[in-house]
Amino acid sequence: MMQIIEWLMDLLLSPWVFVPLVYPGLISAFAVLLFIIWLERKIAAKVQMRYGPLYVLKQLGGVIQLVADLLRYLFAEPIIPREADKIPFIFGPILLFASSYLSTVAIPVSYDFYAFRSDISLLVVLGITTLAPAFNLIIGWGSNNKFGLIGGLREGYLITADEIPMFVTALAMAILYGTMDLVKMVEIQVDWAWGILLNPLAAVTFFVLMLFSTSRFPFEIVEADSEIVMGPFTEYSGILYGLTMGASYVKLYVLSLLFAILFLGGWEPVPQFLSGTILGPGLVLFAKALVVMFLQVFMRSVYPRYRIDHALRLAWHILFPLSLVSVFVSFAALTGWWL
Amino acid sequence: MSSREEHILELLIGPQHPASGHMRLVAEVDGDVVVSLKPDIGYVHRTVEKLAETKNYIQIVPLVERPPLADTANHNLGYVLAVERLLGIEAPPRAQWLRTLLAEMNRIHSHLYGLGIHGIMLGSSTAFMWTFGDREIMIEMAQRLTGARLTYSYMIPGGVRRDLPPGFAEEMEKALRYLERRLPDYDKIFFSNPVTRARLEGVGVLKKEDAIRLGIVGPNLRASGVPYDIRKVEPYCAYPELDFQVVTREEGDSMARLLVRVGEIKESINMIRQILKKLPDGPILEERYLKMIPPKWKDWMAEKGRIKIPAALVSLKPPKGEAVARVEAARGEVVFYVVSDGSPKPYRLRMVTPSIRNVVLFEHLIRNCRVADIPAIYGSIDYFPPEADR
Repeated sequence: MMQIIEWLMDLLLSPWVFVPLVYPGLISAFAVLLFIIWLERKIAAKVQMRYGPLYVLKQLGGVIQLVADLLRYLFAEPIIPREADKIPFIFGPILLFASSYLSTVAIPVSYDFYAFRSDISLLVVLGITTLAPAFNLIIGWGSNNKFGLIGGLREGYLITADEIPMFVTALAMAILYGTMDLVKMVEIQVDWAWGILLNPLAAVTFFVLMLFSTSRFPFEIVEADSEIVMGPFTEYSGILYGLTMGASYVKLYVLSLLFAILFLGGWEPVPQFLSGTILGPGLVLFAKALVVMFLQVFMRSVYPRYRIDHALRLAWHILFPLSLVSVFVSFAALTGWWL
Repeated sequence: MSSREEHILELLIGPQHPASGHMRLVAEVDGDVVVSLKPDIGYVHRTVEKLAETKNYIQIVPLVERPPLADTANHNLGYVLAVERLLGIEAPPRAQWLRTLLAEMNRIHSHLYGLGIHGIMLGSSTAFMWTFGDREIMIEMAQRLTGARLTYSYMIPGGVRRDLPPGFAEEMEKALRYLERRLPDYDKIFFSNPVTRARLEGVGVLKKEDAIRLGIVGPNLRASGVPYDIRKVEPYCAYPELDFQVVTREEGDSMARLLVRVGEIKESINMIRQILKKLPDGPILEERYLKMIPPKWKDWMAEKGRIKIPAALVSLKPPKGEAVARVEAARGEVVFYVVSDGSPKPYRLRMVTPSIRNVVLFEHLIRNCRVADIPAIYGSIDYFPPEADR
């Protein structure tokens, strides 16, 4: 009996199960999802002089409000319109959510704790996250709604505009570090300095592109409620809607982890009292990602939303050239001219 | 299928839509460009004009202020002025000034309301929450003056219902100072926000001659560079004695319409200060009706600062004839035309609201704009469906 428990514990704590399932995978993705939406609402409420979520666990300021919301979504009837294309309509949100969080498997949480180590883990993470918006297009098409269709098409325009500069910016960092292995990137940042100091331009560009690709304000164009109701998700209800709503936050979480590794020194430095523990580096990385997410969701209280043609012009005319320039900044930093 | 039909997607925005209001916008879009947009109004028609024919004159006061939410006092004022012209009376000076006071408070309230709606239509929830929160100040002050938050029914033919409560001027000064402190905050978060400017500048440009040709009224007209304001053109109540500017802008785009409203809030703040400083003493009800009040009620009135409405006012019987009054409401010029046949009920009441005159702007401005410009322009013209439908 003990042996079985021990075997189970070993299995659960082994990186190739723990990483996709617990941290930084599914369970922590859900926890972050619940926390970050609450945080977003709470920050907006603070700025807007109101309380925000309050009554579910009042002692902690309604922090489990989203658990209540999730339960509601779970028990609400998911209505499938008669005219909708059933298979994409049902599987779209599931695949959207899955492909959003799937790339966490390639994210290492310390020097020796990762599901798998690859020479190109940076590309794996970016590649899988880029897959997710394609399902938005399918959802928009499959739900047979004009607002859904427009929302899906908007997503189509926006992914091409934001993913290319994003790849180029990430490539700039890869050139700088001389590797696409995320673990090695952290090692190099310990030797040199944080990536944000080595290549600030790439960091800023990447940050804006994160807002762009996770449809945060001011680029909340796909779901613009005053224009196209809820974009591709107009026809959704119940847990299927919950998945579509959660997907962009999970993507935000993944990209924030990536941002922390690329620019903020990953899990280094581990503070004294946490060093030696297996969780320490993971917690540091998590804290950094949370700070990035905080900044991202704070934009809701500051900006209205851009029009799609403005956003596309910004992406192609400003962010794309900036990402190219950041490649040269990386070269400059490599030759030592920068520092 | 012709090639046009292949390109055009008909989009029905509303009436069940987050930003359509109580109406349906029938948009035809070609890609992201709106080819045409037709507002389908009438969803909240409540037969104000017909109902008025079945009610006593004083009962119509609450009726006419129901449709234009947030801008109730100005519509009330317009109706009351028309009835007074029909009766051939004029309210005493103090009542006139109190009417002007509430009208200007209501203008601030209504503009804040409009700015908030515009904010949420552009996606700025902060602008929405701030303006909607701060509009509460004007509601609270109006409540102290009139006893009601939104539909005051404060002005009655011949005067006003209540006198200024004690300590009102000091409280109002605090409220105005708070508002003046807040306006720069709005400016930072919303008016000068680069995203807002990108969304509004050069969007939905209304040329001066088009504005005149289409019969546009109010801030939308003044944003196109036409300094037309009933308060100046045909002054009523205390406006001739007040020092204020007609806020105009030359650009005529959505941003200009927004900024004209902001300028009018500032002017209204100035006007309220002047009114509270210069408010004349005297009765608040016309002499003819004041005489009808029994002496013991007169003591009560002096003590409470309120009017006991005499029976003659309840069943007003204006002489046969007709009268027109127009006032500058927050959204533009509102016209009341009352016809009396000598009975206690009007033969006909005509109410021309600013929103019904501004709704034509949709079709005119949105042509060849983007889908995302629909809410941007909608918010900028401060169109309010119930006011248009009456």
